[in-house]
Amino acid sequence: MTETARKRVRSLALAGLILLLSSTLAWAGGDQEKGNGKIVLSTYFQIDPANPQYEGHNEVMKAFAAAHPEIEFKHEYATGESFHQKFQAMAASGRMPDVFTTYVGKRTAYITETGKVLDLRAYLDDAFMKSFNPAAWEAQGSEGEIYTIPPSMAVCHVMYANTKILNELGLSFPKSYKELLSQVDTIKKAGYYPVSLGNKDQWPVNSWLLSALVDRMGGKEWFQKAMVGKASFTDEPFVRSLEIVKEMVDKGVFSPGVNQMSNTEADQEFYQGKSVYLIDAGWRTSAMTTSLPQDFQNAVYMGVFPEIAGAVDHGTSVAVPSEGFGINKELADDPAKLEAALTFLKFYNGPEGAAIRLKYGEIPTCKLDYSQYDLPRLQIAYADFQENTPMGYVIDAKMDGEGMGVLNPSIQAMMFGNMTPKEVAEKYEAWVKENDSNRLGN
Amino acid sequence: MIESKDKKLSFFILLLPALLIYLSIIIFPIGVSTLLSFTKWKNFALVGFIGVKNYISIFTDPEFLQALWHNIQIMLISILGQIPLGILLAYLLYRKLVRATRFFEMMIFLPITISAVVVALLWNRIFSPVGIFTIFMRMITDNPDYVVTIFESPQWAMIPILFVLLWMHTSLYMVMFLANMQRIPQSVIEAAKIDGASESAILTRIVIPALANVIFTSSIFAISGSLKSFDLVYAMTGGGPVNYTSVMSIYLYKHTFTYNNYGYGSAVSVIIVILSVGLITLSRSLYGRYQKKYE
Repeated sequence: MTETARKRVRSLALAGLILLLSSTLAWAGGDQEKGNGKIVLSTYFQIDPANPQYEGHNEVMKAFAAAHPEIEFKHEYATGESFHQKFQAMAASGRMPDVFTTYVGKRTAYITETGKVLDLRAYLDDAFMKSFNPAAWEAQGSEGEIYTIPPSMAVCHVMYANTKILNELGLSFPKSYKELLSQVDTIKKAGYYPVSLGNKDQWPVNSWLLSALVDRMGGKEWFQKAMVGKASFTDEPFVRSLEIVKEMVDKGVFSPGVNQMSNTEADQEFYQGKSVYLIDAGWRTSAMTTSLPQDFQNAVYMGVFPEIAGAVDHGTSVAVPSEGFGINKELADDPAKLEAALTFLKFYNGPEGAAIRLKYGEIPTCKLDYSQYDLPRLQIAYADFQENTPMGYVIDAKMDGEGMGVLNPSIQAMMFGNMTPKEVAEKYEAWVKENDSNRLGN
Repeated sequence: MIESKDKKLSFFILLLPALLIYLSIIIFPIGVSTLLSFTKWKNFALVGFIGVKNYISIFTDPEFLQALWHNIQIMLISILGQIPLGILLAYLLYRKLVRATRFFEMMIFLPITISAVVVALLWNRIFSPVGIFTIFMRMITDNPDYVVTIFESPQWAMIPILFVLLWMHTSLYMVMFLANMQRIPQSVIEAAKIDGASESAILTRIVIPALANVIFTSSIFAISGSLKSFDLVYAMTGGGPVNYTSVMSIYLYKHTFTYNNYGYGSAVSVIIVILSVGLITLSRSLYGRYQKKYE
């Protein structure tokens, strides 16, 4: 290579380097807040804005933008496991967004239990809090912290009934568990399945049935004791609840293949009039009101599992406040941003946002006068259900997620006859004793 | 001397990008995983070094041993099922022992062109309690409660998955073998025919020895693919019901990303790497002996 050629190569390399550096600087500069006087909040939401399920959310965001033009968002969305994976990485790297989705239960413990979320108690006045269903303010941290305002309650146990089939068979919604068992033959002889429930994903039997049974047999007080080790999951309330699930399998209460059926398949079985009852979550009414013909909707009754002999509670369901938005604790040092974030949370969850979300099928935790709205019958029924049904605990919202990896497969094994209820209880108790954060106090 | 030095330098310069990429995306993560495998994590925070405790917990966890056994089953079906079947199908097409070879070639190759998730959903739709097979069986048995109960047995739940894996991957091996069979000189086959060799003799005495290299490469694919199999199993059953169809990668995924136990998950990944390297080395040595025998 001649000296001239070498010089040319050097000049080209230098020019390339300068170009690379300048483009990097340009990218870095592009991330700065816009100098238009607006307060910019970064968000990370467990939401899919393109999904029709979130139409209500999108409408609230539009209304907020119109009401508060001084606040601008830099949104980032993700759903499912990918949301949690990236959120964990954000937390680990210390690059947390300003506002983000948080769960009231253990699902986002990697954020709430590591002191990265602002405790909202100091910023919520009594009048605002009283405008909500009291269940929304259940403590979310060990010291009673409130990290998120739950926009709605996730009711995790409803026993829906197709009253048209019940009338056809001369039956009525069972008052007792014994009566439910006695209906099985009549229902099956008529060519229907008694109860649809899809447990392919392992958690539905736990969340939607076992939790309700445990609440009936032991009540909240027993569960609180079991959580901290003053009672055991091998006690009568838990074992008897498992026995009921097993008995329901053995007596053919569930439609065949309960553990091979997905949620959607079980729902479809009920919607197609193949089964008399559906055990599912309360929020399923939202899908029913949009996808089922009106005459079918009119035939749907929302009840709870019937009375069980020896139970300490009666007529209860189980619920957990649904996921909402939390604020980055670091915003406490930036009054303008903190004020903007609180304004957003109060708008979204308060009367303005709640009224919009109600129109899109959600039953908000913020109390509204439903007579002011033209709501579908099932939505009103769901609102009444929430108001008038005592709610117990959902097991997987109270106990550690890793323990569900022990309990849920064991329930399936028990349903197949490969484990006894007692063995399931012993296996879970052994895990909880050794590992659950409620017992270990961390 | 100077020329040789320049040659070495140019080799190094040309290899450097690939070497850097290899080190950064293969060796570095394996190294970090190995380090992490001796740690305990909670809520995405490192609790501390715990030595080999993770490895002890893994090998004493019946769920992991069950998952490992399922991987071995997948490996066996790959090596003893997909490869021989692939050779047989390729031979049938190569020797034109069936009519409409083009049609069969296309039909056999079809499954591998479909994404594993689609294949899983397809078979799910067939076997689910509301699937076509179940509905058909309910009709012919007049039993409205009929469901495929094979999934409810810890011993047999893997069978449908093994069947789908066999159905799906055999075609890939078939194409590889067919392409290599077509490289065997026709004159050799013709000569054997003239000498009165049967089809089975041609297959076992001429074709298979000529394919030894490809069979070895395929068995490496089969071993590594079996140990890391995830997509189809996860989409088809998620490792359930219970853990009757769980495999090591699902076990790893659950502990790492669902329970956030990065140390434990890393230990599982190290075990998978060691098993892969060990088994591939073993197959290399077996192949080496085979080669010597025929040289």
